[in-house]
Amino acid sequence: MLTRRAFLQASAATSSGLMLAPWLQTAFGAPQTSSAPRRFIFMHKGNGLFPQVMVPPSLSNTDKEKEQRKQPFSVDLKEHELPEWMSSVAEHKSQMTILQGLSGKMCTTGHHTWQSSLGVYKANEALTSIKWATVDFELARMFPSPLEHIELACFPNDGGNARGNLNGIEKGFSARGPQQPNYAFGSPKVALRELFKSVSNNQSDRIQYELERRVLEFTAGSQTGIAAQVSGTERAKVANYAESIDAIRARNQKLEEMSDVIRRNLPQLDAKYLADDLSTTDRQWGHTEILLATLISGMTNVVTFTVDELGTHYTGLNGIENERVNLHDVGHGKGFGSLNADEIRRTVRTQHMALIDKIITRLKAVPEADGNMFDNTMLFYFPDNGETHHSTGIEWPFVVFSGRNAKLDIAGRYIRLPHWGEEGHKTLGNWYTTLLNAYGNPIEHYGELDVALEKMKRNQKGPISRFV
Amino acid sequence: MNRVQTIASYLVLAWLLLLMTQASVCAQNVAGDVTVPKDVAAVLNKFCAECHGEQTREAELRLDSLASLEMTARLEVIGKAQEQIVFGLMPPRDASQPSAEQRQLVSDWFASELRKNNTPTLEDNLRLPNYGNRVDHAKLFSGGVTAKPFTPARRWLVSPQIFTERVLDVFQLQGQERDGRRLQGFYGVTNPFVLPDQSGVRYYDLTALDGGHLLVMLGNAQWISARQLRAARVKKGELKADQWENQMDRWSPKTTPAAFEQIVLKTDAPSDEEIASAVQAQFECVLQRRATDEEVRKYVALTRDAIMLGGNTEGLRQMLVTVLLESEFLYRLEFGAGPPDVHGRVKLSPREAAFAISYALGDRGPDAELKQAADEGRLLSQEDYRREVQRLLADQNYYCAPVDPSLNGKHIQSHVTSHPKLVRFVREFFGYPAAMKVFKDSPRSGGYYQNPDRGHMGSPGWLVQEADEFVIACLKQDDRVFETLLTMDRFFVYHNMDTQAGRECIELWKRSYEAIKDSDWKTKPEDVMNEHFKLLVAAKILDPRTKELWKEKRSFLSYMYYFQDTFGQGRTPFTRGPFTHGYSYHHSQSYSLPPLPERGRYERVETPRYKEPRDKPEYWDYPVEQPFPIAHRKGLLTHPAWLIAHSQNSATDPIRRGKWIREKLLAGSVPDVPITVDAQIPEHADKTLRERLATATSKQECWKCHQYMNPLGLAFEMYDDFGRRRTAESLEHPDSLIAKATAKYGADTYKTAPLISTGRLEGTGDATLDGDVTNALDMIDRLAKSDRVRQSIIRHAFRFFLGRNELLSDSQTLIDADRAYVSSGGSFQAVVVSLLSSESIMYRK
Repeated sequence: MLTRRAFLQASAATSSGLMLAPWLQTAFGAPQTSSAPRRFIFMHKGNGLFPQVMVPPSLSNTDKEKEQRKQPFSVDLKEHELPEWMSSVAEHKSQMTILQGLSGKMCTTGHHTWQSSLGVYKANEALTSIKWATVDFELARMFPSPLEHIELACFPNDGGNARGNLNGIEKGFSARGPQQPNYAFGSPKVALRELFKSVSNNQSDRIQYELERRVLEFTAGSQTGIAAQVSGTERAKVANYAESIDAIRARNQKLEEMSDVIRRNLPQLDAKYLADDLSTTDRQWGHTEILLATLISGMTNVVTFTVDELGTHYTGLNGIENERVNLHDVGHGKGFGSLNADEIRRTVRTQHMALIDKIITRLKAVPEADGNMFDNTMLFYFPDNGETHHSTGIEWPFVVFSGRNAKLDIAGRYIRLPHWGEEGHKTLGNWYTTLLNAYGNPIEHYGELDVALEKMKRNQKGPISRFV
Repeated sequence: MNRVQTIASYLVLAWLLLLMTQASVCAQNVAGDVTVPKDVAAVLNKFCAECHGEQTREAELRLDSLASLEMTARLEVIGKAQEQIVFGLMPPRDASQPSAEQRQLVSDWFASELRKNNTPTLEDNLRLPNYGNRVDHAKLFSGGVTAKPFTPARRWLVSPQIFTERVLDVFQLQGQERDGRRLQGFYGVTNPFVLPDQSGVRYYDLTALDGGHLLVMLGNAQWISARQLRAARVKKGELKADQWENQMDRWSPKTTPAAFEQIVLKTDAPSDEEIASAVQAQFECVLQRRATDEEVRKYVALTRDAIMLGGNTEGLRQMLVTVLLESEFLYRLEFGAGPPDVHGRVKLSPREAAFAISYALGDRGPDAELKQAADEGRLLSQEDYRREVQRLLADQNYYCAPVDPSLNGKHIQSHVTSHPKLVRFVREFFGYPAAMKVFKDSPRSGGYYQNPDRGHMGSPGWLVQEADEFVIACLKQDDRVFETLLTMDRFFVYHNMDTQAGRECIELWKRSYEAIKDSDWKTKPEDVMNEHFKLLVAAKILDPRTKELWKEKRSFLSYMYYFQDTFGQGRTPFTRGPFTHGYSYHHSQSYSLPPLPERGRYERVETPRYKEPRDKPEYWDYPVEQPFPIAHRKGLLTHPAWLIAHSQNSATDPIRRGKWIREKLLAGSVPDVPITVDAQIPEHADKTLRERLATATSKQECWKCHQYMNPLGLAFEMYDDFGRRRTAESLEHPDSLIAKATAKYGADTYKTAPLISTGRLEGTGDATLDGDVTNALDMIDRLAKSDRVRQSIIRHAFRFFLGRNELLSDSQTLIDADRAYVSSGGSFQAVVVSLLSSESIMYRK
């Protein structure tokens, strides 16, 4: 008797153009690299990131002058102090890069930017503006995992981005493909429930999981039955769907098989992190635990974390815990409580660095191969809109943390690239192309081009070769 | 062999050369066993070996050593060689030719080898959009094809628009609520379908459901099912009426279908009959049919188990989800029913026919009358189809909807029309909506051009909206439609109100201006307003509710200065003042029309600081009656929307424009750029694009293809990449810079070079039309007279309405549609009726 599995395999062999989402292919056992997986964490913030706050205070006068004139130079971070707000990551200085001088004028800039900073195009609320998969998804597809990619977000309370349901699963800031926004988990609670339901001890969650399992089983069976009645291309049209359902089941199965390791790494979250009404900083800490659990357990290799957005109304900030800080107002220079706008910005960044320190420290504590998990990890911290609140994308500062096995040769340096419009200037597109090329995607250029640079006849395609 | 075919042959051979080279290094691919049958080998030896044998290896290709090639290379060679043989591209025309039987013999063997190795055959490839023109045009319209038309039995994935309508059907929404939700969408429903961004027909029956669709549908099904049950849950007290998980997501249908409600409200487990009734209800909502007995049996079992595990509400909801996940919800099923005819064809069942017709004409399923016709067996003959199609085309309401809701934003509301699908054909065929995807450096335009951004579609949005209006007008007239689309020299620009309303507005404005212009309106505005209050209210310059006239000073003065700039200079003002809230009209320059006064000219008119401008710019004399003639433009190919859609970010694109004309209007083919070619136009400070293009494409191997594009596209160099007519080309190169812009968003000034806009038309098959052209307008006039162009448009209409490429067996259908067009004096509706009552749509095989 022809089993469904055998039938689907036969269908797959004979039908052309079968398409599975890459993570579904993964679930079916697509080839993976034999070495330890590579991991990527994209942490982006709203309200801009001032280039001037990125500069080590101990630069020589010559370098300070270059910095002020936006002239290219590079120094070894170990010979310099970090800006004060970065002090919590000082221990990771040798793995850290402060990268200045990239531009992103081909992105939507200003207040809200949707998928722009990760996709390098002008995205907005219209789905049609999403031109292709964002860079985090490209990487996730290169390093497959059962869940492929996870996006966590501290959604804005107001403004132009996905909003309304801070605690739900809403359109995020990454994109799976053209016109396909990704969905992000808004709260640690919903992320915990959805991502870890296979190992949940909660009776209601277990029932829900079992019901969903049965629905998938039923649907897979019925669709396979339909596929068996037709042939050729027509069979592919249904068999492909049936196989995708089976792939989800296989993924779930795989997660169930990983249940021991998932249980071992289950996020240990106090009740306050699982509340519906939690402060922004607690939301960030809770998400950080989820991020770590999913990476360490191997459920995913890529996590994108919207740590805040321009429309975020911050609560829980150090020193002004009881204030509800509207980041948009901060962008316009308004202070809250005892802090002025600049101090709030610094407090926010300091909080972000504390989160990063936690992530890196924890990953370093997990042995992997002859080292630790962080060896195979890169973390990117950057603004979603460029250099300031009302940004134009003329600068797009990054802080990068690269593990020992990272493919980019940038660790431990402060790098200022040639300024926009100057010979040798590099864009976000060049930067992501570098990343993709270095990890094995030979794409000629990732991202839109800057039409103003095009007018200047600047070559703006390809990787930043000195980084590879 | 015609030139296109020659080019295709050379390209293929060059490509094969690459494969051969690759083959030699792909050692990991082990050649499978293959034996070339003797009779096939004999044909290859006789007709091919002379050029592609051991000694000659023309284009470095050998066909005498297929068996020795590694598998991948061999299959690639076979695939391409099959195309050459079948399309008659090889052997060259001046060489001896194999008979039809010999061609068939070789082709069949090639196909069997490909199929054996799970490689797409030519037959598979011919279904792809880019193979649409491969079927011989002359043969299609020769009248000599005797094969009977049919469409392969198929599942056809629903379009994004049909998906939306199906979700509306699930909730059984009607009337205004349906119209509103169609535009607004549902918070928890993501459309899983995206059509490709190509110029030309985009909605084919080729796409298969995949994992991405499934992922989206899993989320959709959860949301939809929860909303289907919400009203019943509230009634039962499981939820409070104002209890929402997300305050932003507070829509739900007012009622839950009775069969569902019955189960939700029960305190004990439902009976199998009750569950069966709920299954039937969900099938009706989602699949718009009754479940079969077998389906009911399976679904009842599933639901019963789920209810045991999760309770009535949750168990029932799982059933709703499962039906929503049926692939049938996402496909159009067209398999036919009943006994086959003598040609092996089966007619669509009346139900299938009803859906096929309705989805061809719109996005909704059949209306009540069409359903009734199907139920009563009145949807069987061509006459039945014709009657229903004509009836639905005459119906101004059933499919009435906006042409493209994605245009809607702060400033634009897409035109609502009775049959948006017909407009969509023209949009896709011409591809002008792609203008919104081409990002421009605004300062190059002098600052007037606005790219799409948050909440609006910018200048290209307006241009597309105006092109839509042009198309709607042509389709409404339904007279010599193709020729009109190509040559009508009257356009819609800033057409914000109909002619009657526009006339009335201008009349009242003029009366106001004439009555007031000689008064002390600049110095004593409140007195003047008071004196002429009624007139100014009638002219909508003053708010009738106003009690304090000083508050209206700004509005009044703005209008008066605006009138002074326009009426005062003997010109008609645009029927909306630039100082009004939300004004966003800045794109008239894309039509090479004069500008209109900008908002800044009237800022602070109400204050003593206001300085009246002394200049008297030549503003556009606004034509209230539209469409109106614009010099140096004819039809959609000179519409800025089309010109921008077929341009580069910073320059025109003669290659793309030429390719479009070759493929869409002349039914020709131009191969894709070979992967070995780095297609770059060299930069040069002193040369025009035409000159630089010549440098890049004049080499023999390039010109073989480019000769079919460049001479067509270069005629359009009379327009720049913003769609503006030009007589000189600005040499936008840093070394040709004369002056940087002084204004913040101004354009830099570069040296210019004289513009040449000559071109050459070849491929109409009509010696009186082919030949050198002086410019795009000359070319367009000739294209509009061409039979081949008319037939090419009809071929594309066939693809649009039937969702597939035409086959030779569709010959009669195309001939009939062409005849319908000609005999009706150029009615596109006649073409639609003909296509949708043809045997091509009626029969499946």
